[in-house]
Amino acid sequence: MAEVLAEGYNVFDTGKSPTGTVKYLSAPADVIELIQSGRLGEHILLVQGGTTTFLAPALSMGAIGVITMSGAPESHLGILSREFQTPCIMTAHLTGSDSRYVVGATGPGHFDEIAKALDGRKVRLDCSDHEVGRVLADD
Amino acid sequence: MTTTEGKRATYKQRYEEADDGLRFQELTYTGNFVGMEPVTDGIKGDKMLRARARSSVLERVSKDDVLRDEFTIDELNDLNNYLAWNIWDVLVMRATEGVSGMIPRQEYEILAFMHEFYRWPEILRMTTEEVGGGQGIMDIGATARREIGTKVNAVHDWCIGAVGFGMGRCGLLALEAIGPDDYVGESNEILKFMQRVLWGKRQDGYILNSQDRYRCRIHEPDFLTQLTSQIEPLEPGSPRHAAFTQFNAAAELLSFLDHYDCRLGLGDTGPYELPDGNLLILRDLFVNEEVFHWSDVCADAGLPHCYTLALVIDPERMSLAEIRVNDISTTFTRPKNYIEAIVGGAVFARERWNTPMGEVYPIKIDELAGPLGRVQTATLKLYAKTSKMCRRDLIWNGQYVYYIDMILPHLRLAGTYDKACRDYDLWEIDQRVANYYYEITKRGFAQEVVPSKIFSGAGYLPFSEKASLRSSKGRWL
Repeated sequence: MAEVLAEGYNVFDTGKSPTGTVKYLSAPADVIELIQSGRLGEHILLVQGGTTTFLAPALSMGAIGVITMSGAPESHLGILSREFQTPCIMTAHLTGSDSRYVVGATGPGHFDEIAKALDGRKVRLDCSDHEVGRVLADD
Repeated sequence: MTTTEGKRATYKQRYEEADDGLRFQELTYTGNFVGMEPVTDGIKGDKMLRARARSSVLERVSKDDVLRDEFTIDELNDLNNYLAWNIWDVLVMRATEGVSGMIPRQEYEILAFMHEFYRWPEILRMTTEEVGGGQGIMDIGATARREIGTKVNAVHDWCIGAVGFGMGRCGLLALEAIGPDDYVGESNEILKFMQRVLWGKRQDGYILNSQDRYRCRIHEPDFLTQLTSQIEPLEPGSPRHAAFTQFNAAAELLSFLDHYDCRLGLGDTGPYELPDGNLLILRDLFVNEEVFHWSDVCADAGLPHCYTLALVIDPERMSLAEIRVNDISTTFTRPKNYIEAIVGGAVFARERWNTPMGEVYPIKIDELAGPLGRVQTATLKLYAKTSKMCRRDLIWNGQYVYYIDMILPHLRLAGTYDKACRDYDLWEIDQRVANYYYEITKRGFAQEVVPSKIFSGAGYLPFSEKASLRSSKGRWL
């Protein structure tokens, strides 16, 4: 069994289990740069928010997997990832950390810790469970 | 399907009177019912709210009830409580999404809520008078029974009361700009408008989908037959299935982006049971709203006002246990993934908001590549355009999406949109709300108070027994 790096809400259950290098996207310019690089399909995208617009072109152009640090399947990004059938794990937390996301009461340290731990790691998404999505190490 | 093999669909049990539905979330709701059993989501939650009502306004109501000039204080409080629960039911989990990174949505939302509560009442009153009274507003609602590609839909109609009254009043209470017994007359004006549109649309005595076990079956049977005659069979896993679902997703994404990451660009109705036992969802995706100046990229891409998709879902294929078309026009199922159970589809285009139904045209699934490319082009251009906007522009643009678009379809059909712009300065920003722009970022108001008060249902204070139906706001002290 591969090491579980992070867990969160599974947006929809699917047999798809994409692998790729985690790419943390912090600004729209990052998204545009990734699209223009032609390497979108190599990455699992890591974002802070659970809204749709930030990742719009990446979803539209074929993102293979998404991890968010907030939001739920009912959030707009959750709805759209279901429609695109893009595996998506939301409000992911590190299994090796006690830090958890709380609406309106989460400092930047929580997000920085997750981004630092996952960015650049090769991972696989396991979205086969009804409720829990898992980010597995695939190094 | 990987997780439901061998199970039968059980969703029809949800429509049996004694059934309480499934729980879609573990959280419970308290609202104004402190010290009482917590309220759940879903069908059971609807039953609990109705059991606690002091009036009969949450049951099936008659045309005469709807035409009555105003609600009583008990009715207002029952509606306030029900809408607060309904908002929690559909939005408490969505509201965990945090910052956008692109569009400051919490900020524009709270400004729009308050702006609507202040400005809509006189515009809705004028509109009611212009169409000859309550029947005219009910007739506007009824148009949705024979149309697709119309924004007279669940989310817009719900927003009039849930957002303009509910969230607007809640936000102003949280900001301590008003007291619980202020603006009673204005509250009545907004809620009556909402009730009339929704009643006219549904015509079953209810106003909300949650009262009908999350069904929005509003279309006339002969109209539906015209649409279903265009449905093409789809084999899950086939290229044509992929083409249809990819188009659905891409158009839905653009509808979100064109409406600043909000649900106003999306409108589901159904589920309608087809003769073969499958379920039909009709989905309007508004990919080009001409009143928004940033929609020029959508117009340049040659996109129509709306694409409407007919999605046929095989409930047995996914072992469907519950399907909800909620009051913000969005479909959720258990199990969650209904895309793999789509076994038929059709696509229609409505060029403009007032294009006659006879001129709405179907697009064959084999011909979706062209429209898909145009949708993707517009998405990329709109994203690039939006990413260059400053924070203030993003907030006020988003504010307009809510404040204008939520009542735009009703004003358009009433013929009062131009009058509202000309005589009521619809597109101006009220000075009170303009000043709140600087308040909402203080003390984490938008980021913390909005989720904790508005989406949790905690801030919907009741009108007191002393409240007067005539009351507006007599003093600023």
